Amino acid sequence: MGATGNAVTAAVNRFGLGAKPGDLAGAHDPRAWLETQLARGPDGAQFLAGLPTSIDYLRDEIQLFAIRREFKQGGRGRRDFLTGKMPGPPGDTKAAAAALKQALQPYRQEQRKDLLAEFSARIRIATGTATPFVERLVRFWSNHFAVSVDKFSARLFAAPMEREAIRPHVTGRFADMLLAVETHPAMLLYLDNVRSVGPDSRLGRRIAARLARDGDAGKGKAGGLNENLGREAMELHTVGVNGGYTQADVTEFSRALTGWSVAAKREFANGRQPDSAFVFRANAHEPGARRVLGKTFAEGGFEQGKAILDFLAHRPATARHLSLQLAQHFVSDDPPPALVDRMAKSYLDHDTDLAAVYRTLIESPEAWGSEARKFKTPQDFVTSALRAAQIDLQGRPQPVLGLLTTLGQPVFDPRSPAGFSDNSANWVDPDGLWKRVQAAEALSAHVASGGGEPLAFAQDILGPLLDEDTAQAIRRAESKRQAYATLFASPTFQWRV
Amino acid sequence: MLTRRQFLGTAAVGTATLLVWPKLTFAATGADTRFLFVLLRGGLDGLESVPPYGDPGYQAIRGALALSPSAAKPAHKLDSVFALHPSFNYAAQLYAQGQFMPVVAAAPPYWGRSHFQAQNCVENGTSKPDGSQTGWLNRCIASMPGVDGLACAAVMPLTMRGSAKVETWSPPLPTEVNPILLQRLQPLYAADTRLASPFARAVAQQNDSPVPESGIGMLASSKPGKKKQGGLPVMMGAAGTFMGKSDGPRVAFVEDEGWDTHANEAAIVTSKIAELDAGLKSFQQAMGGMWGRTILIVATEFGRTAHVNGTGGTDHGTGGSMFLAGGALHGGRVAGQWPGIGSGELYQNRDVHATTDFRSVFKGVLASHLGVSESLLASRVFPGSDGVAPIDGLVRSARAAA
Repeated sequence: MGATGNAVTAAVNRFGLGAKPGDLAGAHDPRAWLETQLARGPDGAQFLAGLPTSIDYLRDEIQLFAIRREFKQGGRGRRDFLTGKMPGPPGDTKAAAAALKQALQPYRQEQRKDLLAEFSARIRIATGTATPFVERLVRFWSNHFAVSVDKFSARLFAAPMEREAIRPHVTGRFADMLLAVETHPAMLLYLDNVRSVGPDSRLGRRIAARLARDGDAGKGKAGGLNENLGREAMELHTVGVNGGYTQADVTEFSRALTGWSVAAKREFANGRQPDSAFVFRANAHEPGARRVLGKTFAEGGFEQGKAILDFLAHRPATARHLSLQLAQHFVSDDPPPALVDRMAKSYLDHDTDLAAVYRTLIESPEAWGSEARKFKTPQDFVTSALRAAQIDLQGRPQPVLGLLTTLGQPVFDPRSPAGFSDNSANWVDPDGLWKRVQAAEALSAHVASGGGEPLAFAQDILGPLLDEDTAQAIRRAESKRQAYATLFASPTFQWRV
Repeated sequence: MLTRRQFLGTAAVGTATLLVWPKLTFAATGADTRFLFVLLRGGLDGLESVPPYGDPGYQAIRGALALSPSAAKPAHKLDSVFALHPSFNYAAQLYAQGQFMPVVAAAPPYWGRSHFQAQNCVENGTSKPDGSQTGWLNRCIASMPGVDGLACAAVMPLTMRGSAKVETWSPPLPTEVNPILLQRLQPLYAADTRLASPFARAVAQQNDSPVPESGIGMLASSKPGKKKQGGLPVMMGAAGTFMGKSDGPRVAFVEDEGWDTHANEAAIVTSKIAELDAGLKSFQQAMGGMWGRTILIVATEFGRTAHVNGTGGTDHGTGGSMFLAGGALHGGRVAGQWPGIGSGELYQNRDVHATTDFRSVFKGVLASHLGVSESLLASRVFPGSDGVAPIDGLVRSARAAA
C-alpha cells in the first residue's frame, strides 16, 4: 500500500478537497472541523454573485431562436428551442449564412463568456473555500444528478443547476433537493421532459388529430410520452436500478411528469419576465390517477408528480441507494455494509435530512479506519493541486478546463446521466497516470515563483503522509518548479487518505 | 540533457519484464484476431458516402449533392449501382483488394432521429436508448476470457463501459516530462501496491512510442488551446500501433465527431471522408503484419434525409452506410439490401429505409472473427436480439491468416 493517513489528513483530503497551506493545522480536531462546516453550509457567494440565472439563460436562448427564425423564410416556424433543434439559415447563399452568423455573433460571444465565468467561479470556490467538505458534497450531488453539456440544449444550464438546485439544499432535506433538481431547466431539457406530452392531454389529442388529418408526413411530429426523465429519476436519482420498479412504474411516473416544462417564448412575450424558470403546462399533462410502486396518486396537475417525487425520496431503497453512494464516495469503493445501513436508517429517521446522514457518516468508526481510502479523480487531483499552491487563474479557466478534458473528466461533461464514475477502477490506468505526471509539470509552472521552500511546503500540504522517500525526491529536485512537480506527481498525492 | 526517448530507452531495461498488455495468452490458440470499432458521431450521409448513382431516383432527389463516377470529380465506381465518395481514395484501393466493404441502408434498431438516443443505442447494443448502462463492446470483451480492450478516447465511451477491463488512450499533453523527474518517481510508485503496475505500464507505453510519428508531429504543430487534438488519422493510427503488437489489445474503439451536416454538406463531407480515408491508411500501416487478422467496422448513428434541405445539407434520417475493412474481411462487394429511393420507397417519405440492423453485422463479425458464441451474443452482448441473425460470410476464409 502507499501512504497511510490519520484522522486529520482523512478529514482534509478524503472529506475535503485537499489541503491548502494551514488547513492541516486548522483541522486538528477533525470531527469538529467537519461539523463546523456542516453548520456553516456552502460559502463562495462572492464568486457566484452576478452570474446569470436560469431565467436569464432561457431568455437568451429564446432570443437566439427568434433571430434564427427571422432569417428563416417560411416553413417550420413552429420549431423552437424546446424541440431541441435550431432552424437553419435560409437558402444556401454565402451572404445569408454570413448575415446570420453576424447577427448571432454577439449572443454566441456572450454565452461563451457566461460559461467561462461559471466554470471560473466554480474553480475559484474550490481553490479558496473554507468549507471544502460542503463543497465536496456539492460536487457529489451535482454528479449524482448529472447533466452533461454534450447535449446542446442543456449546455447552458448544468452550472446554474448546481448553484440554484444543489447548493441551497446540500445540507438540507434530500426531498427538497430532488424537487429542485427535477423542476430545473437543466434536467427538464437534458432528459427531454420538455418534449414529453401526455397522449390524452389536450395537446396530445390535438397532435393526434393533426396527424390523422395530415398523415404521417413528418411535420410537427413533436408529441407523445418521453420516459427519459421518469426512468432516470428512479434508476439514478432515487430508488436505484435494483429499487424494485417495473416498466409500468416508469411509464406511470413519466405520465405524471408530463407538463413539467420550462419558460418559453410565451412567458417572455412583450418583455415579460417570468418569476420561475419552471412552468407547468396543464395542456400537456396526462389526466388521471397514477399508480407508482404500489401506491395510487390522484390527479392533481403539478402536485401529482410532486407527490410521487416526495414518495420516492422517502423509500427505503432510496435511503440505501444514496447512503451507499455517499459511503463509496467518502470511505472506499467497497464500504462496510454496517456503515451504509446506519446512514440509511438516519436518512429515514430524519425525514431525508442530509446533514443527519453526513453526521452519522463522520461519527462512524468505519469512516476513519485504515481501509478507508479513495483514489483521486482527475477533478480531485487538479483541485487539490490548485488548493495546495493557491493557484489563481485570474478569470482565465481555459488551461484548467483543457487539462480536465485531457485527463478524462471535462467539467459537466460526463456524457451520461449516470455521471462520472466514482470507482478507482475507472481512473487508475497507465494513460491516466502518465497524463498526471504531465499535468504536474504543467501545474508546477503556475506555482507562484515566490512560493515557499518546497520541502516545508510539502510538509504543510501532506503532513504525516509525507514519507521519507517522497521527501527525499523533493529535496533533490533540481529547481523549485521540479520540486512542486515531484510533489504533485508523487503517488502519495494521488490518494485521498 | 538526455532526451526522453534516450532516457526511457535505458530505463526500460529495468522494466523489460513488464509487458504493456499482460495476461494475453491467446497466441497459441490460433485465434489471435483483432477488431476495431469506429463510431462517427453526428450522422454520416449514406447517399453521399456510398452514392447509389445507378438508382433512377438518385440524381433528381440529390440535386447539387449528387455524385457519380462520370462527374468532374468522379466517385469511385464499385458496381453498376454504387460508388464511393471521391475522397475515399485509399478505401477504393482496399475495395479492389477485397479488403473494404460498404453496407448500405443500415441502421441501429432505434429510428427516432435523435443523435443522443441513437448513439446510446449504437453503443449500448440494445433496441432502446436507455436499454443498458454498459456497452456491447465491453460485454463482448467480458465474454472473451483474458482479453483486454482499448478505447482511444479521454472519457470512457458508453460502448466500452462495463465490467471488462478496458484501458483508455488519448493524445498526450504537449507538456514534456523531465526525464529526471520520471527517474525519481519510479521508485516511489514501485512502493505503492495499487499504482506500481499501471505506472510501470505507463512508462513502458511511452517507451514503446505508441503514437505514430505523424501523430506526434500533428500534436506538436497544433496551436495551444486548439479544440481538436488528434482526429481520425492520429487516433486510428494510435489504435493500430497498440493493436499491431503481438501482445496488443484485441478489441479497440475509436470515435470521431463533426459529421452532422445540416448545411454546406458537400465541403464538409469531402474533408471528413478524407480524414476517415487517411485514418484507414494510418491504421493499416500501423497494424503491419497483424492487418491480415483484422476487421474493423465504421458506423454512424443514423443516415440523413434523402432530400437536400434549404441549406445545402441534409437533416437527421434513418438508413445510412456502414463500412467494414481489414485483411481478414471478405470484402470487395457492397452488402445490404437496397430499398430504393424512388417515390414510395422512402421511409416516411424522407429517409432511406433501413434494411440491415447494425446488430446483425456486429454479431456476424463477433461470431466468425472473434469467436464469441451465438448464445452469448444473443443473451449477453446484444440482449433481446434473438430475432436478429448474424450475417454470415464476412470473414475471408476461416483462419486464412493463421
